[in-house]
Amino acid sequence: MSKNNVQKAKLVSTIKEYLTNDHRRCDEIFAAMEEKASNSLSDAKELAEEFIDDMEHHFQMEERVMFLEFETKTGMTQGPTAMMRQEHTQMRGLMSQILEAIDTENKDKFFGLTETLMILLQQHNMKEEQMLYPMAEQHLSAESERIVSMMDSLIVE
Amino acid sequence: MNFNGLSVDQAPPISAPLRFFLTAPLFGVIAGILILLSDTQILTNRYSIDAIIITHAITIGIFAFVMFGALTQMLPVLTGTKIFKVKLVTTLSHTMLVAGLFSMIIGLKFTNNSLSTLAYLLLGTGFFIMILSIGNALRSVKHFTATVKGMTASLVFAFFITVLGVMMLFEYASGNIGERHHIYANIHSVWAIFGFSGLLIIGVAFQVLPMFYVAPHFKRFCKQRVVLLISIGLIIWLVLNSLYDDYSLYAKLWIATFFWAFATTVWLKFNKRKRPVTDVTVWYWRASSIFLTLGSFLWIFDEFFKHEYIVMVAILIGGGFILSIMLGMLYKIVPFLIWFHLNGMGYMKIPTINEMIDKDLAKIQFVLLILSLIGFVFAFYMPKLLAPSASFFIISMLILEYNILAPALLYRRVLKTEPDFDMSAFKTV
Repeated sequence: MSKNNVQKAKLVSTIKEYLTNDHRRCDEIFAAMEEKASNSLSDAKELAEEFIDDMEHHFQMEERVMFLEFETKTGMTQGPTAMMRQEHTQMRGLMSQILEAIDTENKDKFFGLTETLMILLQQHNMKEEQMLYPMAEQHLSAESERIVSMMDSLIVE
Repeated sequence: MNFNGLSVDQAPPISAPLRFFLTAPLFGVIAGILILLSDTQILTNRYSIDAIIITHAITIGIFAFVMFGALTQMLPVLTGTKIFKVKLVTTLSHTMLVAGLFSMIIGLKFTNNSLSTLAYLLLGTGFFIMILSIGNALRSVKHFTATVKGMTASLVFAFFITVLGVMMLFEYASGNIGERHHIYANIHSVWAIFGFSGLLIIGVAFQVLPMFYVAPHFKRFCKQRVVLLISIGLIIWLVLNSLYDDYSLYAKLWIATFFWAFATTVWLKFNKRKRPVTDVTVWYWRASSIFLTLGSFLWIFDEFFKHEYIVMVAILIGGGFILSIMLGMLYKIVPFLIWFHLNGMGYMKIPTINEMIDKDLAKIQFVLLILSLIGFVFAFYMPKLLAPSASFFIISMLILEYNILAPALLYRRVLKTEPDFDMSAFKTV
């Protein structure tokens, strides 16, 4: 986790704000990656890896911390979190294909994949920000600080 | 608590939105042919039967169809709710609207009162089914975002314009045109353009611009107040237009200012977007900003010229603003829908959404549409431009149909093959 993010984590204490900020941060790296790629795919590799690492970190903060807490508290293991996990799997698939497209220097494929990922990612974020996170706030508000701190110190497996 | 939007079955069946999207360009083709068969003199009179028929082939056939298709699809994502019995509702409503629109076109064109009667029954029922079903879904929304407010306000205007539309069509069918017919027609058209379509576009733009283009978010004032302020403006305009017409210019200024401000904001947001990729959808948003700016100014200007330019205003705002944005959105929504449904069923090796639509054809389609719109505007002074412009419009709509049909056919082809993964393990109860 970047220093910047750690500072943000200290400033914000709600699960919703913390994870929403992380979405925006990933969006910005994504945009920077695409901008680099429009000149040269190989130049974008570093940013693509950074983006994928950060996305993986975000997914794991949810899957290994927040979703688990939510599922334990509500008893819903097959509800909204299951759907979000499925979409994470879809996005992981696309991200690995993005790296392949960079390695094979296939610009058309790369932009086709980023466009697809962008829409999938944004509609996923929207569902989380407008539905799941508010639900999580409602059920986990008492433990909000502890959960944010756990997510913040998570080491990606 | 409502989890529909997050469940694995969140998305409506693909046929629900697609049936609307696939039909829309075909009504564009019909409108183009009708323009080709018409002449400039008749079309400059907004109350001529030809102008009414062509307008509705576009406003119902394209605008309403695209809006209903998009609402069906976006409702679960944007609001977490979905239309009850969505497949039944969309099939029924779509069939009624298509049959109703054909009845209206033929009934009015050939003064066939039975068909016009059938038209208002079918169109009225088709519209009310969709409006009430979406309205019912919106009732369970807990989190009223700016986009949901835009949708709700838009639906309220849609309800009233449907009532007015049915009333006017009833007058045509009964051969008894009332004294206030033109006042109703004016309210019907202004509320349809700025209320139903305009507010929905603004509401969706709040969400879509930051989402698809990583553009800066709209300011809190825009998101909190603009939909309300425009709605108030439209209601004030209704009162002034009906009772104190001399003062209706002030309400028009109010409405036009907000739409012009929206056009400028969209343009600036695109300048500041973090995602540099430029595709035909960006061109469409840009074009719509320009057309909306011109249209808003001309709408005010027209007030001083006895509404001489009102058809030109309709082309600029209806064609240039509303149609442009809708087509730009279609190029994003349709291929994504196909990809999303196939991927969700376990198909991994499918074309990306960029590969589903021929990008060069999409560019040609854009250029032809813009040329046709410019041609229609100038046909007021050079009637010879009408036929080539109508031809460009028809070709543009045919290409659009191909561009939507191609991914839909790809969907059917892929479905016949075995999925790469068995996704049943992901199914939720």
